[in-house]
Amino acid sequence: MKTTTKKIKTWVASATVLTVMLASSAFAQTPKLTDPEIASVAVVANQNDIGFADIAKKKSKNADVLKFADMMSADHKSVIDQAVALVTKLKVTPKDNPLSQKLSSDAANTRKMLESKSAKDFDKAYVDNEVGYHKAVISAVETILVPQAQNAELKALLEKVVPILKMHLSHCEMIQKTIK
Amino acid sequence: MSLAVIKLKNSICFILFFSVVLFSIAFLNSCSPNGQSDFSSVPKADTATKANEKPAPISYTVEIKAMKFEPEEIKVHAGDTVTWINRDMVAHNVTEEGTKIWTSDVLSPDKSWRMAVTKSADYYCNIHTGMKGKIIVE
Repeated sequence: MKTTTKKIKTWVASATVLTVMLASSAFAQTPKLTDPEIASVAVVANQNDIGFADIAKKKSKNADVLKFADMMSADHKSVIDQAVALVTKLKVTPKDNPLSQKLSSDAANTRKMLESKSAKDFDKAYVDNEVGYHKAVISAVETILVPQAQNAELKALLEKVVPILKMHLSHCEMIQKTIK
Repeated sequence: MSLAVIKLKNSICFILFFSVVLFSIAFLNSCSPNGQSDFSSVPKADTATKANEKPAPISYTVEIKAMKFEPEEIKVHAGDTVTWINRDMVAHNVTEEGTKIWTSDVLSPDKSWRMAVTKSADYYCNIHTGMKGKIIVE
């Protein structure tokens, strides 16, 4: 029994590390992006986290995790709404690109991993993924998307997202400490 | 009419005119802000009334931006009003932290909420619980 538990724990840890590595590697292989491509990356990154939250709301029984998932859904939807409003105003059509495609495919793998978790293991897997995902996205926004954005309003919107992501990160790190 | 009567009439007229002039000067002087007069008790009563009056309520604004309340701490008097305005991209609320005795509606971006303050309070956003603020009633 102990060996099985240990194996499960090791597998969960490996899967989490893999998820974070995928998210990080997607951003690490970044080509030069145009504003329509940056807009697409921003929308996909937010959509991914809404997708993870949807699974959490379905599978978790932990009040803190459920509250966090609600916050993720609401906040990332709000960011998408404002990003879409801005690109509509600027007459920019978000353009699919290798980075946004990689983010989407990595997120599909993460969703599969989360769906496969037992109720017992889910909370840790979800929260660990949230911590890694937010770190990777914050780094990408600060070092890739903001510096490469050409339009001042798009740049300002991306800069405005960073404190939101940092608040999310500190919140899920706090929950992470309470989950064994 | 004799000359003596005319002189007497002129004297009376002069005295009357002089008295009117003196009275007028004295009256105007008493109305002057720096003047000394027997009406000095009136401004004293007025000052006492003003001292008892409460100052007019003041309106303060707290902006919610970059996931913070700005200013985080605000000093007011009871009866003053505070308006919170959400400048962030996400919804927030404003909730008393102790017993949750008061809370705002959910404030979508660019929406605001106003409250008349009656006592000091620690408050926070109960959507993003790391966001905290303080009202001090002096």
